[in-house]
Amino acid sequence: MEIDKEKCVGCGNCHAVCTMGAISLDEDGKSIVNQDQCVECSVCYRFLKDERYWPWMVRAIRRVLSVCHLGYLADVDVCPTGALTPPVLEWPRSLRGMFSDPTIVHPGTGIYGRGTEEIKSNDVTGRLRKGEAGLVVEMGRPGIGAFLWDIEKVAMALARLNADFEAKNPVTQLMADTRTGKIKDAVLNEKVLSAIIEIKVKLDRIPDFLQALAQIQKEVDTVISVGVASRCLPDGSIPHEEWVRKAGYTLSLNGKTNLGLGRPLFKETEK
Amino acid sequence: MTNTLHRQGKAENLKKDFIVFMTTAAGINREGSASEIRKFMRICQKYNPINMGNVKSGNIYQDGVEVEEFIANLGEGAGCTAVFADLDTVQRVVEELIQADLGISINISGLLDEVQECCRKAGITRHSAEHSLGFWGARERLPERETLEINTLCGHGMVSFNLIRKMIEYVKLRRLTPKKAALIMAKCCECGAFNPARAEKLLEKIKKGDVTPSGKPVEE
Repeated sequence: MEIDKEKCVGCGNCHAVCTMGAISLDEDGKSIVNQDQCVECSVCYRFLKDERYWPWMVRAIRRVLSVCHLGYLADVDVCPTGALTPPVLEWPRSLRGMFSDPTIVHPGTGIYGRGTEEIKSNDVTGRLRKGEAGLVVEMGRPGIGAFLWDIEKVAMALARLNADFEAKNPVTQLMADTRTGKIKDAVLNEKVLSAIIEIKVKLDRIPDFLQALAQIQKEVDTVISVGVASRCLPDGSIPHEEWVRKAGYTLSLNGKTNLGLGRPLFKETEK
Repeated sequence: MTNTLHRQGKAENLKKDFIVFMTTAAGINREGSASEIRKFMRICQKYNPINMGNVKSGNIYQDGVEVEEFIANLGEGAGCTAVFADLDTVQRVVEELIQADLGISINISGLLDEVQECCRKAGITRHSAEHSLGFWGARERLPERETLEINTLCGHGMVSFNLIRKMIEYVKLRRLTPKKAALIMAKCCECGAFNPARAEKLLEKIKKGDVTPSGKPVEE
């Protein structure tokens, strides 16, 4: 994101809205974006309504009020002068928007933002089958963001266990080599709001992968939201529960359930 | 996307937070899904959801949105979302969705045992399930518990920690009511998964002093 200094009146509303805390007041009293930290999520631009006031008028009113020791507190969801300006992003910086802005369709998945269908359409895609589990490792969430160099560390640690990276996943598509988990050098310095490493494992290998994750988590400077999924058994029970408990981890009370109402229903005999 | 998987809170809060969403599958049933998406949303709307939306069109709390028009304008896409505050309502929604036989995958995020019971009562067996294993890595960078609880109501992370802290401050200073502050935050969440009723309740508790923001990260 960029801020038009001709328009900005330094109200500071965009500072709090920024998901990465990347906007601050510059020495000239106008807001400035730390471009290294900005992940191009554009929430500031979408959320703050442009009031279309003339900048000179806002500044003049403020000066008058300050002479009288008064201040003006704008509504929290406005940009009085429409100073926020989304830039045209070029590769590899455009990758930040693809992963961080949920209103952008990712060209590699056809899905908005960094997401994947994972188990949400498993009843029709058969992405996870009997005896398999999906491990979703979301780097940077919640609210911290992640550089691709940290994401690569985790991907490479999981790859050492012969991880089966999901092909229809935006992180997998950035890999130079899915056997090693190495991510393309050109994008390693980019930061995203979050990115999901998605792998498929045999149920009995869940403990191995969680152990690898437990080791590598100490080497990254961001948070990781971890999830595990599987296809339910005919009685509705969840097969991955046993293996997660065996590995010594606690399962959340809440989670996601695919009701199986999609059609055509995937049949296990299909390839 | 693991959008609604990592919502934080105690069981008593999570009992009032169910997200029902439809997800189309590319190359299988996404193409030509506009009519099913609209039918799904109309069914949900009958049961007074707390929030509704999809990332393509935004949510019902955004400026100038009229719900009927919003639904009528929904097109083909990845899916859509509706949030409900109790299991009984979810039960009725699920039963009507089964009747409607839309042919698109339906998921529910919420307390897994309760959703399982809902499936049993509706006469279906759940197909797949997913658990959160919590937050790993640099947990010391996470904010205080109350901020995290509100932040995770938007899985895309569109409600920043700083905005939540600002809303808490404004509520304590009576510059905003808890309801108004919750609705402001809901506007940020494009897909409509944010539960403004939960956020409002938490802000009310903070205002009354029933919950004192710890100011400490969740790890401590």
